[in-house]
Amino acid sequence: MNKWWWLFLILSCWMAAGFAIFGPLQGQNCGDTALPARAERIVSLAPNLTEILFALGLEKEISRVTLDSDYPPAAAQKPNVGTFWQPNIEAVIAAKPDLVITLGFHQQKNIAERLKQIGYNTLTVNIEKVNDLFKAIEKIGAATGKQLQANELATNIRKKLDRLSTLVGTEEKVRVLWVVQREPLRVAGRDTFVNEMLEVAGGENAIGRTVHKYPPIGAEQVIVCGADVIIEPAMAQEDPARQQNRALQYWSKFENLPAVANKRIYVIPGDTVSRLGPRLYEGTETIARCLRPELFEN
Amino acid sequence: MNAIIEVENLNFGYTPQNTILKDISFEVIQGRFLAIAGPNGAGKTTLLNLLCGLLRPKAGSIRIDAAPVESYSVKKLAQKVAVVRQEFIPVFDFTAAEMVSMARTPYLGTFGFEDKTDKRMVNEALEATDTSQFALRALGSLSSGERQRVFIARALAANSPVLLLDEPTSFLDLKHQVGIYDLLKTAQLEKGKTIVAVTHDINLAAQYCDEILLLGADGNYHIGETKDVLSPEQIEKVFGVRIFVGSLGQEKFFIPLGKFAKDSGQIAGKPHNIQQEQKQ
Amino acid sequence: MKELLTPKKLIIRTASALAVLVVVMLVCSLIGTESVSLKEVFSGAGIQTRANPDYEIFVQFRLPRIILACLVGAALACSGVVFQALLRNPLADPYILGISSGAGLGAIIAVICGFNWTVWGRSPIAVFAFAGALGTVWLVWFIGRLTGKFHVTGLLLAGVVVNAFFSAVIMFLTSIAKSQQVYSTIFWLMGNMAEEDFLVLWIGAGCVVGGITALFYISPQLNALSFGEADARSMGVNIAGTQIIAFAIAAAITAIAVSLSGLIGFVGLIVPHAVRLVFGPDHRQLLPLSGIFGAIFLVIADTLARIIVAPAQLPVGVVTAIVGGPFFLALLVKYSRKVSWLK
Repeated sequence: MNKWWWLFLILSCWMAAGFAIFGPLQGQNCGDTALPARAERIVSLAPNLTEILFALGLEKEISRVTLDSDYPPAAAQKPNVGTFWQPNIEAVIAAKPDLVITLGFHQQKNIAERLKQIGYNTLTVNIEKVNDLFKAIEKIGAATGKQLQANELATNIRKKLDRLSTLVGTEEKVRVLWVVQREPLRVAGRDTFVNEMLEVAGGENAIGRTVHKYPPIGAEQVIVCGADVIIEPAMAQEDPARQQNRALQYWSKFENLPAVANKRIYVIPGDTVSRLGPRLYEGTETIARCLRPELFEN
Repeated sequence: MNAIIEVENLNFGYTPQNTILKDISFEVIQGRFLAIAGPNGAGKTTLLNLLCGLLRPKAGSIRIDAAPVESYSVKKLAQKVAVVRQEFIPVFDFTAAEMVSMARTPYLGTFGFEDKTDKRMVNEALEATDTSQFALRALGSLSSGERQRVFIARALAANSPVLLLDEPTSFLDLKHQVGIYDLLKTAQLEKGKTIVAVTHDINLAAQYCDEILLLGADGNYHIGETKDVLSPEQIEKVFGVRIFVGSLGQEKFFIPLGKFAKDSGQIAGKPHNIQQEQKQ
Repeated sequence: MKELLTPKKLIIRTASALAVLVVVMLVCSLIGTESVSLKEVFSGAGIQTRANPDYEIFVQFRLPRIILACLVGAALACSGVVFQALLRNPLADPYILGISSGAGLGAIIAVICGFNWTVWGRSPIAVFAFAGALGTVWLVWFIGRLTGKFHVTGLLLAGVVVNAFFSAVIMFLTSIAKSQQVYSTIFWLMGNMAEEDFLVLWIGAGCVVGGITALFYISPQLNALSFGEADARSMGVNIAGTQIIAFAIAAAITAIAVSLSGLIGFVGLIVPHAVRLVFGPDHRQLLPLSGIFGAIFLVIADTLARIIVAPAQLPVGVVTAIVGGPFFLALLVKYSRKVSWLK
């Protein structure tokens, strides 16, 4: 038999052996599959998940968080397992967690799948809209045996939002341009949780329906959008006062915009409005203070 | 001895309208040295490429060792015919020995390694071309002449009965020109190789080759013993230039004369005996 | 180093290189953000999941990742060798004929269409990237053939054109896709070593090693081909056959590598050169040694990527460029006397 046949033969045997050895292991979930009644070592892979856990009173049970979980301050003291964008799966395992909570986007979903395969308990939640947040709080409460606290938290947030909504009333909505990034210019569209917050706070997105959630827009669209208010969530690293100055400088060229004419350009702290978590109300109220300052005079 | 190369009614052109080679027939007896000469564009290199199977004729047949060229597998053909083209520096820095041993590719064993015979052929070829001292040097570090000798060594290492060369001495200096042809002649005489060399140099052809094929640009050709074919009239007709023919013992030499030649127009194709004139 | 290659020399060199590879693999598997003790690893998996994290980290994450790095490194290096020989161009790398943009296009399409099914637990991105890479390379081959049977320049130009066109399509699709997905894809494309399950690694290893062996079988022909087609023909090489086999295998193993780990540059370009500088251009030796050294290189690069900016991870491609560049320069300076085209 010549060398090519030998190669083919050995290769075929190799492949067959592979399927024989590893095939049956596919899709098998070894290890305990039932969620424990009470999780005692929880790893949270996102800052808003960490906030939810703290809000449910699980501070002691949290074993590890991601680097960017900085609220409440106690969270920043916890040992970390990488960033929420790139969690370090080895660190997660080294923590011997009995529950790992992740978000639903591609990278984290993969990690959750991987951990599940090995036999760890994972919980994946999608938090992209306000409704998702309430559902996530419910799920996390159920998974950690804190259903009561979860209910209370959710009701609390809802009540406060309703109160704000009533306060704001149904008067004319303020047109808001929510600027996520200045170069290139990127704004929050209508299909985002930011938009939901805006509407509760008495505002209306100056941009119409778009394909993207956070579309890049051109100067023309800025000119015609007629925004009364421009809001920019601040970036954590930079000094907010300097950011405010730079923002004013940047927008001054759009002099025909009511927002610029009336100097209603606000740079607000980013955490509560960029992170969809238990501080939803705080973020919404901050926005309301920008849009309808007269309501908060007292 | 029988003919190892037989060409019958060969027709070829690169485009359907154009025919470079028209109805060419000739044969080369085993162990002979044939030169192919002619003006540029006559089709010398084309003919060589047809002989080694790189091109297919439009009509007619070419037989190597009594079998049509097409019938040979690439491997078998390489064992019958070795080709030497213009030397060049390869992209990767192979050594001379590595390059020469590539000629043994058709003979390699299962896993592609050379055996004793292959190594012996390589060494003999390196010695015959006087390139043993370059064996471990990269090709790029050699001079053109040395490199061309290595290319010829590669052809010799293939140990094929036929050797085809395409202008092996084009860019070489006088010493290397003669050196290479000495080498080829030795290979012919000592190893019985059949050699076909395309050349621009009719003087070298006259000195070394038994036969010559003169290809004209119009498609006409003449083939025969060198001394017969290379007459001044023939050369003038084929190359279209005035020729001065001189002889030195048994050797004839041919010098082209242009507009500014200082021969006072004496030459119109008559042989001129230098030795006689020197006595005068 | 320049004497003719013998089977004995080749075996000794390959075995030594393999030994180095094993040592490197072992050492690197014990390096990481978490300290793993070998003793714990050998004591085996605990009965319960969380009993022996050292073992789990080692077996489920370190080992697969290192094996993957070996696979991908070997595949890219050998593929680089082949493309450099086929195209007779020292600047060729595995992505030159459209594989990179094809894989990228496949990945982006998979993400945009939002496929959720998996093949053996492999995400659709990998499958589509594989299909995209392979499809594109055959497209380039086909276009190249149109320009003349064995024209190397035609192939190169076709590759450049297809790469440019597909890159433009990728940019277009990127701009209309929803941002979250796009970030994921771009991140994936930058090259990363995600931990794989053992079946995929097993099959992948079989394919890559099998492919390299097949390429080794045709090494004498590759030697001849690197001289030029006319020359190779006179040396008895079936040019079309050799080109197709070499091309197909190189394309396949590169597509496998890309679908498993994204686009990792530099390995396919410099490892062949480095090995050639030290050991010479004979493909019978160049291929196996490039494969092994490619594996070693990528294992080390990946380990560095894991620990330099811990707890975050650098994309491996960044490390290969930063580590590979100066290393290659040093090699070049030391051995430049032997390289003819640098004179």
